[in-house]
Amino acid sequence: MEHTYKPSTLIKALSGVLILIGVLAVIYGFTSDPARTWSNMLINNMYFITLAIGALLFYSMQYITDSAWSALFQRVPLAIGAFLPIGAVLMLLLYFGLPDIYEWALPGITETDKLIAHKEPFLNLPFFMTRMVVYFTMWIALFVVLRKIASKEDSSGGMDPFIKSRYYSKVFIFVAAISFSLAAKDWIMTIDSHWYSTLFGFRAAVTSIYYAVAVIILIILYLNKLGYFPQLNTAHRNDLARYLFRFSIVFGYLWFMQFLIIWYANIPELTAYYYPRFLGEWQVLFYAELLINFAIPFIVMMSDVVGRNKIVMPTISIILLIGLWVSLFLQVMPGSTGELQFGFIETGMWLGYAGLFIFAVFTALSGLNLLPKNHPQLEESIHHHI
Amino acid sequence: MSNKHIIGVFDDDQKLLTAVKNLTQHKANIKDVYGPSTSHELIKAFTRESLLPFLAVLVAIGTIIGAFGFLYYTSVIDYPLRYGGKPLFSFPPMVVILFFLTILVVGGVSVIAFLGRTQLFPGKQPVMIDPRASDDRFYLVMDQNFNPEEIKLWIIEAGALEIVEKEIDTQTGWGF
Repeated sequence: MEHTYKPSTLIKALSGVLILIGVLAVIYGFTSDPARTWSNMLINNMYFITLAIGALLFYSMQYITDSAWSALFQRVPLAIGAFLPIGAVLMLLLYFGLPDIYEWALPGITETDKLIAHKEPFLNLPFFMTRMVVYFTMWIALFVVLRKIASKEDSSGGMDPFIKSRYYSKVFIFVAAISFSLAAKDWIMTIDSHWYSTLFGFRAAVTSIYYAVAVIILIILYLNKLGYFPQLNTAHRNDLARYLFRFSIVFGYLWFMQFLIIWYANIPELTAYYYPRFLGEWQVLFYAELLINFAIPFIVMMSDVVGRNKIVMPTISIILLIGLWVSLFLQVMPGSTGELQFGFIETGMWLGYAGLFIFAVFTALSGLNLLPKNHPQLEESIHHHI
Repeated sequence: MSNKHIIGVFDDDQKLLTAVKNLTQHKANIKDVYGPSTSHELIKAFTRESLLPFLAVLVAIGTIIGAFGFLYYTSVIDYPLRYGGKPLFSFPPMVVILFFLTILVVGGVSVIAFLGRTQLFPGKQPVMIDPRASDDRFYLVMDQNFNPEEIKLWIIEAGALEIVEKEIDTQTGWGF
């Protein structure tokens, strides 16, 4: 039984090459089209922070619900949280590009735009940056605490780390659910500064778990193929596939709820957000988002036998990773640059971020035992069957 | 064919499981299994897949098509009333109705189908193969379409306490 994981040279080389591509894309982007590059940076920051927060929410959910089945691979979601410090640095760098993305950050806009002037007490530069720092401080602090407890569990064992983990999981869910939905409103929703949706933050926070589970599945299946987690059985895969199925319904529900109310009420401030997306040139992506994130996972994962298939599961997970990008692209781009462009900047920057993500996650995975050997529910998890 | 059934009585679900495995291996038709507790392994060994999920999917598709047709008929053909500046046929408001109708109809049909399949209905007298089936004994019921002597042998081999042969009226349930 292998307890520890060391990243292979292939992974290290892969992440290095991807980061290099990303750096090239950023350099190319800033010389040709800075506004588009800043917007892409925001998309990718949000993308990978969503994955990190979602994974930690998943980790905490397992603790507060006393779920034993996932104890076997609980170090994987914990490791995904390790992207948060990198995400924090990259997000703070966005300070220099704020006027390129956000309309409200343009100097002098409050004199010409009454609505933005009305929102100014909340939407101003110092407060915006302060909130950003506060969010990241809370998330990283809680991530470090959870990780320290996990490492203490490996060295000493006993029930104490488990009880502590459960306590801090409660704290994390409370903090992250509120702060991440606020963060999504801050960073994404304010791009269209005249528009607002009460549901927006909730949707971002809840669906983050959806995409995080997709990444968790990919990492677990990759490690399993290398020979780690030999105890991973059909029941584990079945439960992970069910997560995807259930959350596809949640996604479709929240997506439609936000759309239907605005469509029905037909209030100009609100429909201005949906007009270019629903009827304008973004229409293809608008339907693609629903198809990729809801329809395909819903129909494919409906049958448990198909869902837990070792080929179907990673395929759907990869489709969902594309889906998250499409979803964020559609939320950011029409408001920031307003042009539908797809090229080397988009792909290169995503690949670069993916390189950073792989680097952070696999380094974190090797930092702790891969198998939580002193976890009180490990035996139950290994013998999980349904 | 007589209604005589062979009934194996067990005191342990693992023994019952080996008997079921033995019998399914030789393709003998097991009528039913009774016991005070459920065992997932036993259900798997039975290899009887439930058809309820497929029924649910079929009913769901039927409901969506039917309800869509009904909504289209009412809002466009029978009573075309324009409200809120929306087109007569507009899909978004239909989604909610389709969603809830589908859940309601599929839920109801599943319950009725389940009750029909298991021959249960409100007010039915409970039929028990033996009072001990709700206490600490497990029962395996076989009809005699296979070689009865062989069946008895396999049941005994698996560790049955006793073997009973009884007349059972299969039409009205287990008449004990």
